[in-house]
Amino acid sequence: MSFVSVNIESATDSPVKLTRRALAKQRTRERVLAAARSLFSERGYEGATIRDIAQVAGMSTGAVFASFADKSELFEEILTADYEVIYAQMIQASRNAKTVDEALLGLFGVAYGFHVEQLPLLRASIAVSWTRSEAAERRARGDIKHLFHLIADALQRAIDQGQLKKDIDVKLLAEMSWDVYVANYRRAVYDGWSVEALLARLSDQLKVIFAGARA
Amino acid sequence: MGVRDDQKAATRERVLEAARDLFNEVGYDETTIRAIAERAGVSVGSVFTTFASKAEVLSHVMNHRLAELYAELDRVAPLLRGGTADKLCSIFAIHYEFETRRVKLFLAHIAASYNPNNDPGVTPYGRNPRLSQMLLDVLEEGVRKGEVRGDLDLRLIIDTLKASYAWNYRMAAAAGGNMPAAEMSAVMDKQIAVIAEGWKPR
Repeated sequence: MSFVSVNIESATDSPVKLTRRALAKQRTRERVLAAARSLFSERGYEGATIRDIAQVAGMSTGAVFASFADKSELFEEILTADYEVIYAQMIQASRNAKTVDEALLGLFGVAYGFHVEQLPLLRASIAVSWTRSEAAERRARGDIKHLFHLIADALQRAIDQGQLKKDIDVKLLAEMSWDVYVANYRRAVYDGWSVEALLARLSDQLKVIFAGARA
Repeated sequence: MGVRDDQKAATRERVLEAARDLFNEVGYDETTIRAIAERAGVSVGSVFTTFASKAEVLSHVMNHRLAELYAELDRVAPLLRGGTADKLCSIFAIHYEFETRRVKLFLAHIAASYNPNNDPGVTPYGRNPRLSQMLLDVLEEGVRKGEVRGDLDLRLIIDTLKASYAWNYRMAAAAGGNMPAAEMSAVMDKQIAVIAEGWKPR
């Protein structure tokens, strides 16, 4: 079985002594990220300018640009940090499951739980995903690829354990599972659905998708 | 309608057409209300007396396009042939063909519907009752003909199909808008086949 191995332990190298300058730089970065997170949540990606972010962080736009090349890099950094927080939990949820439905509901449930708590930021990130540059698209695909492997691994295990037919198209079924998972965020955004409601719907949708694939 | 109303309607029409073309050619974020007014040959002020924001303009552009799409669906609906899955494939293929004519406009529409600061005048993407009804008609016919099991929640099947339909546009987004409709339809055909495998009577 091929699990994506991620090293979630912190690095064991001897701690690097940060100079005062480096510490100050790091603090600046963190202040910018915090300000950006709140503004992106409030106004969306387009609505928040570097100038606004600098103002909220209490620094000059020049100081922001010293840490980040542009707004899209800043935004991606926030999303990647969030992604790293939930990815380890998703692996755990998937591994602890006994059936394919449990595995998928487990790993998507982690994501729903995390994102529904900060829906405005999720909305901004979905909005951006439809119109971003090709370079930004390539970078973002790296994160999504790991998630796809995780879904595909859960399906492969289900095949190995005789829950699913041997001849199913794993990639296609993984994609379809992903599609319903993401599409359901619309219910959270427009209809105020809770995590439980999203999971109940997802569970029904997965039954539709896997009905013909069960062994 | 008085002359004034006629004029107002004509301005509206011109603004929507200019906005549609600019959103598709230049991009939604890159297009300003000023640029729309310029292309439409009207004042910036008159755009704002008709629409509250750029997001509302986009929303109206998209509603406007539905008349064209529905005309196409009406024309094709009686001609649909084959089994239940084949008919669904055709319906989605027509949608991909239609939306890829102005794919950047369509992607902007999806993106804008997730924007956190949407105005109340904006209709969210994905509320297309006509598409859902067409799919339901086909599935119900499938049940009558014994191709689809009778004990299934057809609306749930539609919900699942529409999720795949919508997120296949990610292919177009990832390709910077250069994605032939036929390639998206081909993927959709496979997805429909997966679900069809599950609705077969056993």
